[in-house]
Amino acid sequence: MSVRTATAAAPSALVDEFAEIELVSETTNPWTPSRKASSSTWTAGAGMRGRRHHPLLRIRGSLEIRWRVALSVAGLAVIVVGWFVAASRAGSGASLLPSPMAVAKAIAHLWSNHTFVGDLWASSQRILLGYSISVGLGSIFGIAIGTFVSVESFFEAQIGFLRYIPASALTPVFLLWFGIGESPKVWLIVVGTVFFNVLMIADAARAVPRELLHASYTLGGGRRTTLRRVILRHSLPGIVDAARVNLAAAWLMLVVAEMLAADKGLAYQIVRAQRFRAVDTMFALLLVFGAIGLASDLFLRWLRNATSPWARP
Amino acid sequence: MTPTLSTTATLSTDRRDSHRPDGDRPDAPRPDGAKLVVSSVTKVFRRRGSITEALQFVDLHVDEGEFVCLLGASGCGKSTLLSIIGGLEEATSGSVRVDGDLVVGPGADRGMVFQGYSLFPWATVAQNIDWGLQVARWSKDRRRDRVDELLGIMSLREFANALPRELSGGMRQRVAIARALAPEPDLLLLDEPFGALDAQTRRHLQDFLLGLWQRTGTTILMVTHDVEEAVYLANRIYVMSARPGRITQEVTIPFDRNRGAGIKRDPRFLDLRDRLAELLG
Repeated sequence: MSVRTATAAAPSALVDEFAEIELVSETTNPWTPSRKASSSTWTAGAGMRGRRHHPLLRIRGSLEIRWRVALSVAGLAVIVVGWFVAASRAGSGASLLPSPMAVAKAIAHLWSNHTFVGDLWASSQRILLGYSISVGLGSIFGIAIGTFVSVESFFEAQIGFLRYIPASALTPVFLLWFGIGESPKVWLIVVGTVFFNVLMIADAARAVPRELLHASYTLGGGRRTTLRRVILRHSLPGIVDAARVNLAAAWLMLVVAEMLAADKGLAYQIVRAQRFRAVDTMFALLLVFGAIGLASDLFLRWLRNATSPWARP
Repeated sequence: MTPTLSTTATLSTDRRDSHRPDGDRPDAPRPDGAKLVVSSVTKVFRRRGSITEALQFVDLHVDEGEFVCLLGASGCGKSTLLSIIGGLEEATSGSVRVDGDLVVGPGADRGMVFQGYSLFPWATVAQNIDWGLQVARWSKDRRRDRVDELLGIMSLREFANALPRELSGGMRQRVAIARALAPEPDLLLLDEPFGALDAQTRRHLQDFLLGLWQRTGTTILMVTHDVEEAVYLANRIYVMSARPGRITQEVTIPFDRNRGAGIKRDPRFLDLRDRLAELLG
């Protein structure tokens, strides 16, 4: 199928498979307002009215699945090919920009290295703990803020101020407060993400339709029942969405923490690789971050649809 | 019997500024057997300094087993009045009593049906109907029987496990009615329940509601702006006017409960319909 725009000036577009059916129904539609009167040069029945664009270029158009897959593959291919080309032309700079092959080898090497799993686990553990606390606090405060105007008023100014303090700037403070163990890293992840989670979850709670609250009340539901069985239930997909979107910020905070003070972890290994000028290992670790991110994104999407199939778009 | 158009609640419009304090006038005497008594309810909205009088000294009553319609153009405060009766909003002054008890908040004794979008989207049809029963801690067996009974009455049995988004607008409203009826309320409050439906579905559900009322004898108060709907369904109609919202007419409909679509050709029906339509402008 050619990427072509079907316009009134290109009658051959009529034969495009995607345009045919709709166009026929439209030309036989007696209710189409007539423009003939205003353009007297037209011969009745010879022209075409309106424009019809190729699905690829339509605003909010729907695409067949084969097109969508093809475009995704093409998008990835651009990056890989671009990388190959850049690496092959780097010449003397090859030590700064490793080829994809070299990085693939470095990944294989990492995987066979017994410390890698330990690093992966150390980082994942910090994320799991810190981010769970963040989503938990975010849910409690977010739901409360989105539900009670009193709570919202109390926290609005605080959060408005606190969330603009870059959490990464707190790293030295946290190292002083919590020492160099696990807790400063975990609390940095909490502080760096909890405000985003609170605000997004509060929005989800505010989005619960008033009609549902009224339905609950007039069916005998008290405040507690309504909170748990209507507001929380309705906000659940929003909570998972918030967790999915803000997870990237959690990894950002983890990297900041591990780069400053750690003896194991993925970001710590990047800093270590820098010392040995092992750029291929650094790239390999970056790809590991990307893969973990993609996997958790897919998992949380699945979780959202599994727990709230009714909210599927 | 000829239709009676009698003017009640004759309130002079210059009473706008002289709000009667609570207790200044005793509650209107409870009409014999009245299920619901609304006594001089006033509702004032204050927003950014401007004061809107949404309801002004509204008096009405609904008898046990009666079907009463609140008829008025949009913005006359009829939905606000229904919300106050349902306990979802507070009256600025005045009182609402059900079986003599003062209404201070919402409850399952006053089942409500809204215009739309009030079904729990994550719950199936059966779970939606069951919701109030679960909250009221009915036993499992009783709940199952009651849900099954309502699914049957509402002809929804084959959709018991469907989600609301899989249903048509008319079916959704049937579920909403079933859900409100499930905990056996004293009073069913309907807030333009068919307002968002197409004309054909609307007529279908009107007949359906009429049949339901004939069979169950539930006391019903319904808000509508559709004159024909009101005359077709109600025993009595309160006509409301806007700014300030108040009741200007009380109309008794000369047809008994066992009526059918045939009355729509009755000259009394047509006469009432035309006169009410004229009143609403």
